[in-house]
Amino acid sequence: MIDRKKVKKALRDFWYGKPHGERRLGEILEDKTGLYKHREWRGVKDTSYYFWNIWCYNYFQMVMDIMKNGGPIVFAKGLWRYRWVGQTYLPVLHWFDRGLQGLRGEAMKASAWHYRAMVATTIRQFQRMFVCDAKINGGKINEQHEHTIAINETVWGGIFYPWDGKLVSVPMEMIPYFVTCHVNSHTVLNYIDAVQSIGLPGDPCPMCQAESGLFVLDDMPDYAKAMVTCNEACDASVATSILQDWFFDKPLFALPMPMQFDDPLVKENCMKEIEQCWRFIEQQYGIPFNWEKLKEKIEQQNELQRFEWEKWDVAAHTNNYPINGVAQALYRIYQTQYGDWEIWHQVDKKVRKIMEKCVQKNINTFPQTRHRVIAWSCAPLYYSNWCTWAYNCWGLNVVINMDSLMFDMTIRTDTYDHALEDMATYHMWAPMRRMAVGGMNHIFELWENMEKFNCDMVAMYDQLQCKGMQGVHGLFEDEFRRRNINAFWLPHALPDCRTVSRAEIRNAINDYMTTVMHEEPLDPSLLDFDDSMTW
Amino acid sequence: MKKGGCSLGKMLLKLFLKLFGICFAAIAVLFTIFFFDLDGKLLFYVVEPFLKKHYDDMERKDVLKDLYDVDKYPKREF
Amino acid sequence: MKDLKHLIFFENLLQEANNELVRKGKEEGLRAIGYTCYFMPEVLLDLPGCFSVRLRAPRCTSPDIATYYLSSRVCHYARSLMERALEGGFNFLDAQMATETCTATCRFQEHLQQKHLDTVQDMQIIENPDFFVSFSDVPFKNTELSYEHFRKQLRAHVLDELTAHFGIDTSDEAILKAVEQHNEVCRLINEIGDYRKLENPTITGYEFAVIQLCSLTCPKHLILPYLRETAEQLKTREPDDKKQFRCKVVLCGSENDDPDFVKLIESCGALVVCDRYCYGAVESRVPIEIKEGQDPLDAIARHYLLTSNCPRFMPQDEMRGRKKRLAELCKEYHADGLIVASNKFCEYWSYERVIDTVVMRRDYGIPVCSIEKEYINTASGQLRTRFQAFVESVELKQIKEDK
Repeated sequence: MIDRKKVKKALRDFWYGKPHGERRLGEILEDKTGLYKHREWRGVKDTSYYFWNIWCYNYFQMVMDIMKNGGPIVFAKGLWRYRWVGQTYLPVLHWFDRGLQGLRGEAMKASAWHYRAMVATTIRQFQRMFVCDAKINGGKINEQHEHTIAINETVWGGIFYPWDGKLVSVPMEMIPYFVTCHVNSHTVLNYIDAVQSIGLPGDPCPMCQAESGLFVLDDMPDYAKAMVTCNEACDASVATSILQDWFFDKPLFALPMPMQFDDPLVKENCMKEIEQCWRFIEQQYGIPFNWEKLKEKIEQQNELQRFEWEKWDVAAHTNNYPINGVAQALYRIYQTQYGDWEIWHQVDKKVRKIMEKCVQKNINTFPQTRHRVIAWSCAPLYYSNWCTWAYNCWGLNVVINMDSLMFDMTIRTDTYDHALEDMATYHMWAPMRRMAVGGMNHIFELWENMEKFNCDMVAMYDQLQCKGMQGVHGLFEDEFRRRNINAFWLPHALPDCRTVSRAEIRNAINDYMTTVMHEEPLDPSLLDFDDSMTW
Repeated sequence: MKKGGCSLGKMLLKLFLKLFGICFAAIAVLFTIFFFDLDGKLLFYVVEPFLKKHYDDMERKDVLKDLYDVDKYPKREF
Repeated sequence: MKDLKHLIFFENLLQEANNELVRKGKEEGLRAIGYTCYFMPEVLLDLPGCFSVRLRAPRCTSPDIATYYLSSRVCHYARSLMERALEGGFNFLDAQMATETCTATCRFQEHLQQKHLDTVQDMQIIENPDFFVSFSDVPFKNTELSYEHFRKQLRAHVLDELTAHFGIDTSDEAILKAVEQHNEVCRLINEIGDYRKLENPTITGYEFAVIQLCSLTCPKHLILPYLRETAEQLKTREPDDKKQFRCKVVLCGSENDDPDFVKLIESCGALVVCDRYCYGAVESRVPIEIKEGQDPLDAIARHYLLTSNCPRFMPQDEMRGRKKRLAELCKEYHADGLIVASNKFCEYWSYERVIDTVVMRRDYGIPVCSIEKEYINTASGQLRTRFQAFVESVELKQIKEDK
């Protein structure tokens, strides 16, 4: 006897996908590897969208990006030479899967667009590195090499706007290190081990260790004529610059971000430092500073910021915000750090359309939200998609995070002085500097933002090797208690998944949700699973 | 004429069906790859270990032998 | 060698921050101004009406409450200072002139600061109603722009604050007077320290470390008579007939205010003839030179940026030049080797130590012993083994060279 109810339910699940609460996403994962026994069935419409518009589209676009930026031969050479590209960037669609797991409808679409922009920018940058790279070009210094400047990944790309079209700035570590951790966390371990093998202790910031390790393993392309470095975000970054100077051995300009950035005297000095950096570039490359270009690019960047404010407004005041926690965090930090680029505008246009639809039709994009969460401090790079898991498992919707909120400003372009002044502020509000190590009065902006974004819970990142954040640990504990705020600590070691595994991160949250919040999981299959070998 | 037209129509239909068949097969293959994460499995079990071995075996320069020339770059104001 | 007359007195002064001379200074009505880093010019804190105290937390072995606030993954030095502050050990301070020159001490000093914010409750650690903290921004470079910026910072965040809170005279005349006193301390410390350059030195590294630390932690006018007398005594001090050491070393590295660490090295046969570390004398006891017509504050700002060998400095020539200067120190002090010691969790020196270990040995032929240590070294057995092995390797090298 056929149970008609069951058939109806099966058909409904096939057509719409299983509703959140009935899904068992943990069951589709292979043990240890985190690969899928089969990818998630999201219903006919969303699975089709995911298959066509995300999976096929992005594979296709990746090929097109390679063709547009240097071509397949350059790519093949780079891939063969550098571990971080070969081992990391091939499984990029799995990175999409991990970040977008469980998402439906508009949230899935908008978040995926953010990923697409990051992939395009990544390919553009590593292809530029390979095109210029003397190491894979038989030691030849070509024309592009002479028109490329290497920068520390925390130096804002906007500093180089005056030379747009004539000089390309490519961050040294953004692609070989930072993005790799998100896509394939295995790669970076080689670099951490390499730098420790020459005697560095294991306790300095692992991000800086990895950045140094790239050079120790001779895995950094020789792609630029000169470099601009900085002190961001911490003491270890300063020290890393020394190793980089030794092994990169190019004319170097240090452009520090001061910590006391509220002091007008500091800002005044920072403006002068930026001007000195510009003089350094003029001297090294012989290309004059172009104010008109700077103005034009800043105005374009301001457009991106204005849209971000609109997004924040929707995120703060409605349930219609279609970007999930990981897409929000990564896209925003990538975009603000890298500076203006046309792909951001293209993607923002698409996201705007989706977001407007959500608002007009009042679509609840994360309908199973139990808690609106703000994530504070710096996130685990190897598990940036923890928030996707947290929503699927516990209904914790990470609405906003600290990294997104750092560059909360547009830059004036009416006069050179105003532009310079605002650029100095922007430069000083560098990643991890603005709040995390920018003085106590800024790290505790958490409360203000918690209120602004209507959050009722804090995910407090606990980067075990970040001296700046470790140094305010107790005060946060005191304040959480005093303010009676629900907050859980999320221990991690930035890129190094060996120090704190993903499972340990999940356990910390599971423990909090069960023992403190006394809540039941939405998807119990996600409580405990082994993904120790996953990318 | 009619006969010829009919055979052309048939040919076109055949071609269309063939193309449709090829496309359908291609989509079916792609969807199978997608749905069963065959791309991920290929990369995880075959490509990555192969590349990893290649990178591990690669001869690398001992950068610690690089000269750290203290006088190479002059003091500069900027 | 005959004992130094004031050594025990000096050693006692180092037993706590609020020592006999500090208390005496306070009784005289002077304001005690704390600081932690070389980049805070001590000479400005020694203006008439106040005196500088470079903070230490001797005998702090278990900083439990500080570990709650700063966590166990932060440098033991910063945690020890925090613990000592929480215990009330720094209540004698009237102000803390802070720098954010390293993250850990910056956080410690931020805890001391009364921020009057809605966002975080002040801890009221220092029980002194007059107490305040002022932060200065220290440049990462030594360019003309940096000198100018540093001068402005010192004016705004040190001198103006001292005047506003305590009515301290910060005129050029007052600064010149402080410089004069400072330079006398430098002259005496250098005179005392120069005996380490002798073939058979008439002062040990330990004794010198004790004296140097006293000069950093006591009111200058009160420690000066003892320094003068010690310098006088050293003029006639005879070395032991038989050398009490097997080799001479330069000790460089991160924060070190523990003379017992120097004693430990010396007990293994390596005489510490030069102290190129935070709290050492190499930089801090270079006299300040003010040229005719030069603004004294400008001279001070330049002096502190020019003399520092801190790995925090980022200009390219500076990052590289530090190695050369270290090699020159080894030569100047006739050292046979170099001990590079960094405090655990000190990020600057973790890296600098690695680079020194490779470059100094390879490019300058100087044997290097690379050590990671704690603020208070309780596990001395392991260190002793390392130092003994190093001394033997230096001796072996000498034997080979002699052949």
